[in-house]
Amino acid sequence: MTNPYVPLLFLLAIGGGFAVFSVFAASIAGPKRYNRAKLDAYECGIEPTPQAAGGGLRVPIKYYLTAMLFIIFDIESVFLYPFAVAFNQLGLFALVEMVLFIITVFVAYAYVWRRGGLEWD
Amino acid sequence: MSSLAFAAEAVTGIPHLAAAVPGADNPHADFSDTPWWLSLVKALLVFVFLLVNTLVVIWFERRVIGRMQQRPGPNRTGPFGLLQTLADGIKLALKEDLTPKNADKVVFALAPMIAGAMAFVSFAIIPMGPMVSMFGHRTPLQLTDTPVAVLLVLAVAGVGVYGIVLAGWSSGSTYPLLGGLRSTAQVISYEIAMGLALVAIFLYSGSMSTSQIVYSQRDLWYILPAFFSFLVYVVTMVGETNRLPFDLAEGEGELTGGFHTEYSSLKFAMFFLGEYVNMFTVSALATTMFLGGWQAPPGIAAINDGMFNHGWWGLLWFVIKLWLFMFFFVWLRGSLPRVRYDQFMRFGWKFLIPVTLAWVVAVAFIRGAQLGYFGNSSVGLAGREFPVATLIIVGLIAALALAVTWVWEGKQAEKQAAAEAQLPEEIDPFAGGYPVPPLPGQRLREPSLAIEKESNRA
Amino acid sequence: MTALITSLPTEFKVAQVDYSAIAPMLIVTAGALVGVLVEAFAPRRLRYAAQVGVALVALVAAFVVLVTVSVDAQGLTLERAVVIDGPALFLQGTVLLMSVLGVLTMAERFGGESPDAFTPMGAAVPGSPQEASAMRAGLMSSEVFPLTLFAVVGMMLFPAAGDLLTMFVALEVLSLPLYLLSGLARRRRLLSQEASLKYFLLGAFSSAFFLFGAALMYGYSGSIYLGDISKAITSASGELDGLLIPGVVFLLVGLLFKVGAVPFHSWTPDVYQGAPTPVTGFMAACTKVAAFGAILRLVYVGLEANRWDWRAGVIAVAALTMVIGSVLSVTQTDVKRLLAYSSIAHAGFILVAVLAFDKLGVAGTMFYLVAYGFATIAAFGIVSMVRQGGSEASHLSQWAGLGRNHPVVAAVFAFLLLAFAGIPLTSGFTAKYAAFSPAIAFGGRAGVSLVVIGVLCSVITAFVYVRLIVLMYFTEPAGGEVVAEMPSPMTTVALSIGTLVTLGLGIFPAQVLSLAESSSVFLR
Repeated sequence: MTNPYVPLLFLLAIGGGFAVFSVFAASIAGPKRYNRAKLDAYECGIEPTPQAAGGGLRVPIKYYLTAMLFIIFDIESVFLYPFAVAFNQLGLFALVEMVLFIITVFVAYAYVWRRGGLEWD
Repeated sequence: MSSLAFAAEAVTGIPHLAAAVPGADNPHADFSDTPWWLSLVKALLVFVFLLVNTLVVIWFERRVIGRMQQRPGPNRTGPFGLLQTLADGIKLALKEDLTPKNADKVVFALAPMIAGAMAFVSFAIIPMGPMVSMFGHRTPLQLTDTPVAVLLVLAVAGVGVYGIVLAGWSSGSTYPLLGGLRSTAQVISYEIAMGLALVAIFLYSGSMSTSQIVYSQRDLWYILPAFFSFLVYVVTMVGETNRLPFDLAEGEGELTGGFHTEYSSLKFAMFFLGEYVNMFTVSALATTMFLGGWQAPPGIAAINDGMFNHGWWGLLWFVIKLWLFMFFFVWLRGSLPRVRYDQFMRFGWKFLIPVTLAWVVAVAFIRGAQLGYFGNSSVGLAGREFPVATLIIVGLIAALALAVTWVWEGKQAEKQAAAEAQLPEEIDPFAGGYPVPPLPGQRLREPSLAIEKESNRA
Repeated sequence: MTALITSLPTEFKVAQVDYSAIAPMLIVTAGALVGVLVEAFAPRRLRYAAQVGVALVALVAAFVVLVTVSVDAQGLTLERAVVIDGPALFLQGTVLLMSVLGVLTMAERFGGESPDAFTPMGAAVPGSPQEASAMRAGLMSSEVFPLTLFAVVGMMLFPAAGDLLTMFVALEVLSLPLYLLSGLARRRRLLSQEASLKYFLLGAFSSAFFLFGAALMYGYSGSIYLGDISKAITSASGELDGLLIPGVVFLLVGLLFKVGAVPFHSWTPDVYQGAPTPVTGFMAACTKVAAFGAILRLVYVGLEANRWDWRAGVIAVAALTMVIGSVLSVTQTDVKRLLAYSSIAHAGFILVAVLAFDKLGVAGTMFYLVAYGFATIAAFGIVSMVRQGGSEASHLSQWAGLGRNHPVVAAVFAFLLLAFAGIPLTSGFTAKYAAFSPAIAFGGRAGVSLVVIGVLCSVITAFVYVRLIVLMYFTEPAGGEVVAEMPSPMTTVALSIGTLVTLGLGIFPAQVLSLAESSSVFLR
């Protein structure tokens, strides 16, 4: 009997090894024909928008907002998991507490909704 | 078990579930006779299984879509065109591997590796069959299992998102960046609803270990008591894997290829592989969670004292169920158009999340009633015992759901009436500068007449 | 695998909750949630009234419940995570009263539509057309009231936390709303945003210190409960001592940051200056109360057993805080920065009382916090009233000759400054006496020398305050009309209460002092 996470590492090693091998194999197997235009950013033929890697473009604030909301709700569901698993043993007290917790998060959700935090135009 | 009793048990208490004992959240599968080298062999088998299935499913997808569109699909390479995917893969390997000059070289190479490697990991905890003999050892047809196995799937999916983000970011180009952001927002948005949908399963099974979840479905598959979770899960799994109708990240019309626009050769193939392996993973998880995993369907399971639920038969049922989901994916792709991004996000955030949350609360109350948290009295009805509290709560939830639907429908009808009332009878298609088609019930103003009017005015 | 199974808890034990003990915190939390819902659903014209009403009702109700119900429910509750004892109750009550005054000053509109101190739209770029149109449309950040309530919840939990994790949660709950509030000033938006960002970054840094310290203490003692940590220190075998001292240091760094003690004070002047003035007052008063409450509990309940190992460091911090706070206040030219440095110096004075390690030290600390807090809220309330050309006249030169045009305002401010300086007949004097006398009695040679430093520093700060008073009364106005806006009844009430408490504690300190003494015993 091995640690249950060791087989996971086996699979990760196999999958990762395959991925690394493929990526390097491709750079060896493929032809190399230099062409300046090929190395430009691909924008369907128009002149590429000048920008540095990752830094040139300001990312719309919506994405940050989505990320933060994701964290809130993800943590909510992570809290719900142990509750759900242990529900058989927890009794009514935990049910009431869980409903209170969900209501609390729901208040924040209602606020975000009403303030237009969930709109994508 | 007759189907009537099946349905009745969905609503009322499920005897064996109520009798959960402490510690029942640990894996049911027994790995005590599995030496480490056997784990390694099994890991290799899982890897090969996924790779072969991916090769087949791409061919399958192209053939099925071909049929749906009245054309044959690939049929030249190998028997029935089966080797088409392999040939495509070899072709990709022999193509030039480009790295754009604006790219962040290291991250650009790292991103496909993450996407490719992470896709495989989740499959480790999927139970593909019961105990079998392998090289003289009794071992389950499952690579490994932990008390938090399902959480592990979600965690690995979270790491897999890095592949997309980093690919979009490191390309140093506008389209990939936007595509990467979009698909990240999409994946994480739908991951919430997916995670919430699974809470109902945990409430029923009392465990996050996949083998335990399969074991606790031996009398009743969770697709019945958790039918709504199943629906939500099926929607979110399509959103999670960026598949049509939710493949907004690669909306060709707006973003060319999305986050992998700049990728070529086998790096591109890695993203492709990752996408298909992810499809298998979410399908396998759906099978495990809702369709009883590797267990035989109800009728067949009863034959010959459960003969078909033992040994390697399990793998057969598992693969059949898995491929049903894969066919569903292909079917969707063949028949649905892509949704708009704002519609997609609105559906996820404003419908799926609150409704799933309400569903989880409802399931918690039903489970609480089954476990006797609200009293133990029961009434006899048609020869069966029904707990009172369960009936009351199920009734309340049904009434509430009906009421909400009714109110919502009324509002929708109102909205529609308001929208229809405002529609002018005749529209000028070029009023905004771009040609727009008329809405139902509208008449186009003849452009020639309009032009005439303009010139008259002049 | 067997080890894994046996380590899983086999049975779930329902935590015993004494609802009457934690009722005040629950009331304030409920008020905050109602505030969020008001923000979401109430029509815009009702929001201001509704928010102010909800906040005041929640705070007052919580205080009433605290003094009527919770006082009889003292004890450890929520599985020892929350300790409701004398100091916790005293400090919670103090926080509640001060936050009532804070909310009253925040609600000040000076005849306008929306709270005067806050920007109409926090997310708009400063000076952008968007901001201008938000201003014209009459938008307002009425979220400040629920945010304040959330901060108050954290402040109430902070001194009542029975374990390090609860303490950390309370620290975050009180800090996060304050980071936001500091960035919402209506005028000088860039300065305000800078303050907010600085506060957030440094605050996050100090939280990390605290959490790291908590982890080390858990590694040392195998428990996060303060009582268990104390036992572990007493019965230590010396094996893991390498974890103890770094753990203590990191914990104290995290907490001393919140009170603004040198060398963790660098955020104080910038944040006090940039934040909306009523928020600065609220923050200066209530955060100090909460953070010193947490320090008292941590030090007296958890770490007292090995105080000889780390006492020297805190003594040095206290001395440095007093000296640097008072010396740098001499060079300030901005009223808010001046008050910020004065608050740093006061943090040093309070630390002197903490270091007495006696029941009387606890009482002295708590009394000092009451005296300083009320005076501070009132002082910042007055700062927010003094205007030149529509914006706050916070530069010292603008205060010249204020006493001639607005004798009452200047007189009140002068009185509060004298209280800060510790002149007899003000609360400052009695507070300093209450803080310094246990240090002399129980602090040994270090206590005495700290008191000497403290008295010298008081003289320095007194010079600064007197200079400001002279400026207000005996200097010609520098030109330009400087006016004190006519405050609404709410601010007037807040200022009067703050001033009267300052005066009352200076003349009749006995009752509050004996209350502090009778509630200075920690449960563990």
